[in-house]
Amino acid sequence: MTGIRRTGEVLLKRSGQALGVALAVSILCFVVVQRLPGDVSYRIAAGRYGYDLVDNAAAAAVAAELGLDRPAWQQFGSWLAALAQGDLGRSLVTSRPVGEELAFYLLGTLQLTGAALLVAILIGGSVGVLAARHPGSLVDHLATTWVASVRALPPFLLGLLLVLVFSVQLGWLPAVGHGNSTSLVLPAMTLGLGLSGLVARVTRETVINVWSSSYVQFAHTRGIRERLVLLRHVLRNSAVVLVPYLGAQAILLIEGVIVVESLFAWQGLGHALVHAVFWRDIPMLQATALALALLVVSLNTVVDLIVLRLDPRPRRAGALA
Amino acid sequence: MSDRLEVDHVKVTHHGTVLVETGGLVLEPGTAVTVIGESGSGKSLLAHSLLGTLPPELAVTGAMRLDGDPFDLADPDSRRHLWGRELALLPQEPALALDPTMRVRRQVAGGLWKAPAAVARRRAMTALDEVGLAGAAESYPHTLSGGMAQRVAYAAATIGGARVLIVDEPSKGLDAAALDRLAALLQAHLAGGGLLLTITHDLGLARRLGGQVWVMREAEVVERGPVDQVLDAPSHPYTRRLLAADPSRWDWVPAAPTAGEPLVTATAVSKAYPGRPLFHDLSLQIRAGERWALTGPSGVGKTTLGNALAGLCTVDAGTITRTEALRRPRLQKLYQDPALSFPARVPLRAGLSDLVRRHRVDGARISTLAGSLGLDEALLDRRSSQVSGGELQRVAILRAMLVEPALIFADEATSRLDLLTQEGTLRCLMEEADPGCALLLVTHDQSVARALTDNRLELGEIAEPATSGVRG
Repeated sequence: MTGIRRTGEVLLKRSGQALGVALAVSILCFVVVQRLPGDVSYRIAAGRYGYDLVDNAAAAAVAAELGLDRPAWQQFGSWLAALAQGDLGRSLVTSRPVGEELAFYLLGTLQLTGAALLVAILIGGSVGVLAARHPGSLVDHLATTWVASVRALPPFLLGLLLVLVFSVQLGWLPAVGHGNSTSLVLPAMTLGLGLSGLVARVTRETVINVWSSSYVQFAHTRGIRERLVLLRHVLRNSAVVLVPYLGAQAILLIEGVIVVESLFAWQGLGHALVHAVFWRDIPMLQATALALALLVVSLNTVVDLIVLRLDPRPRRAGALA
Repeated sequence: MSDRLEVDHVKVTHHGTVLVETGGLVLEPGTAVTVIGESGSGKSLLAHSLLGTLPPELAVTGAMRLDGDPFDLADPDSRRHLWGRELALLPQEPALALDPTMRVRRQVAGGLWKAPAAVARRRAMTALDEVGLAGAAESYPHTLSGGMAQRVAYAAATIGGARVLIVDEPSKGLDAAALDRLAALLQAHLAGGGLLLTITHDLGLARRLGGQVWVMREAEVVERGPVDQVLDAPSHPYTRRLLAADPSRWDWVPAAPTAGEPLVTATAVSKAYPGRPLFHDLSLQIRAGERWALTGPSGVGKTTLGNALAGLCTVDAGTITRTEALRRPRLQKLYQDPALSFPARVPLRAGLSDLVRRHRVDGARISTLAGSLGLDEALLDRRSSQVSGGELQRVAILRAMLVEPALIFADEATSRLDLLTQEGTLRCLMEEADPGCALLLVTHDQSVARALTDNRLELGEIAEPATSGVRG
């Protein structure tokens, strides 16, 4: 029963947070766009017709059409009012509904993040557990070398290396693109491999800690077979530490994949954000920033709920006599 | 002869230093063997060398026979297949020996991993019922008291039906009631024809278990014999010193100081945790120089009350005022587990020097205090994990004294130390405290409270607020 109550508490707290974050990010984002150098209507017109065809008349027409000559607070107010009705507006550049475009990019980002995390957990987790089983052994040293190598490689270089090997030399996978299932592999490997080093390191430390804990020692002296001890006691208690860590890494993945998205022409939120900034596509920009902010809150909520399920202890233990 | 455990000879060394060397240990069904002695005397190492659970950096030689079957103690894996079925360990700190993420019954049933799940579950339930905890089967360990956790650990350790039970320092941090229940469980194990080896510094427990007592000091057994003989007519001087360290026999009880200005005043304070009232409408005043003890069994709210008086937690109702004399850092707390109150990876001296800088006290006092606390100053260059629990608690006292406190709040500060170390540590505390410094002691040990303090507040189960109607 208390589990359900605490789940409710988490959801309530996080929804409040989501609302606050959404509002704050929207206002900030709007203010920043207003402050960007260059004439907004000129840039939008250029986005629509190309730089060569833009003149002052075209810019003025755009400003009039989009109401860009209204005071900023009015523009923000009407955007907010529309948002309250679930309307994110239309892209100033493509004129398509922002909601549709956003859903497309969001899906791209989630696919890439999910696949990269999976790669990182599978590789990093296994390497970490193997190294933790025999600290100081050859396996452990190999794992350390692995961690150092993948961490030392910046994503764009790792990405290029993967393209060279798997696309150019072997011809197994497409180098760039977004659409068929195989195009996901290289960007996901690039991000996942880079992350797997950190995951391996943290997994190793966590598993060593848990393994030396009294409850694991006690499980051993009760005669429980080693594999069962690993499955029943070590993995779950390690997950209590690892899940929040992976949550933080997932956020970095979502927000920091612009380089990799650009490298592989993968259409995700980072890609969309850069283009929206470039063309001053304000509704698109607002919506993308909003989506990113809410994604962070949602991810944190998911992490909270998983940890709540894994570890029954109260978060803030009061002083007990 | 079969049906018994014989250890002919055992020697544990670390880089050439002998930590344990003894022999002639025989465990027979129904007769307890209890090893007493101060921390660091090697008594826990003796137990773990029999089980095969010593840290790998320690070298063991020796041999034991169980039912006539020989085992080489040097090979830690030779007894692995006996774990849980023939040899069982009831570990120190049972609260830490239970997996915090697993419900009690599943955890107890875990030892029967070869049996079908339904059988294991049923037998776990029976085992929990036998230790009086059937009601806690679906609880998580963090909701259990220290005594309950220990009984769960007992059920988990013995569910495999092991005849040889090794119990390592079972009385740490337990109150009198929990200790009674533990003693009853161990006696039941003996009565059932079990073999029992207990490592403890609790003389009362040794007496209750009867049988043989071994007294260990610096890797050697200095005295052994029937419990009555060893505890009532000790022949070795060390045993006599150990017995004299029992709080009921302290001969250095400090003189009652005169009370000065009020420091903390609590008026009609109440506090409850959800579903559990702790204290209600309680008032007290601590004056400069007074010595107070808050006593009572585990879980009644002694520490919480102490924390509230020290301003470390809030109360639900009532007021607590502290005078200007207790401004930072003049109120200091000593914790039950000193290891948790020191940073793990920093030399002890670094923390003390920070304190000297932060509060602009005379750094030379570190040496003076170390001298009068009987601490070798070289110890301060080590980390907290590299000194013993008793030494670390003295460093904690040094740290508290450094800032010339007006009130020291000692929260079960010696309950995990052996008798000699406890006596030494408390003696330090009493002798070093400034005459004007008030002392607030939280302890479940009535004899410690009686020996040291003039003002005692006994917390007990508080009565439910009377409601209208008839009481059942």
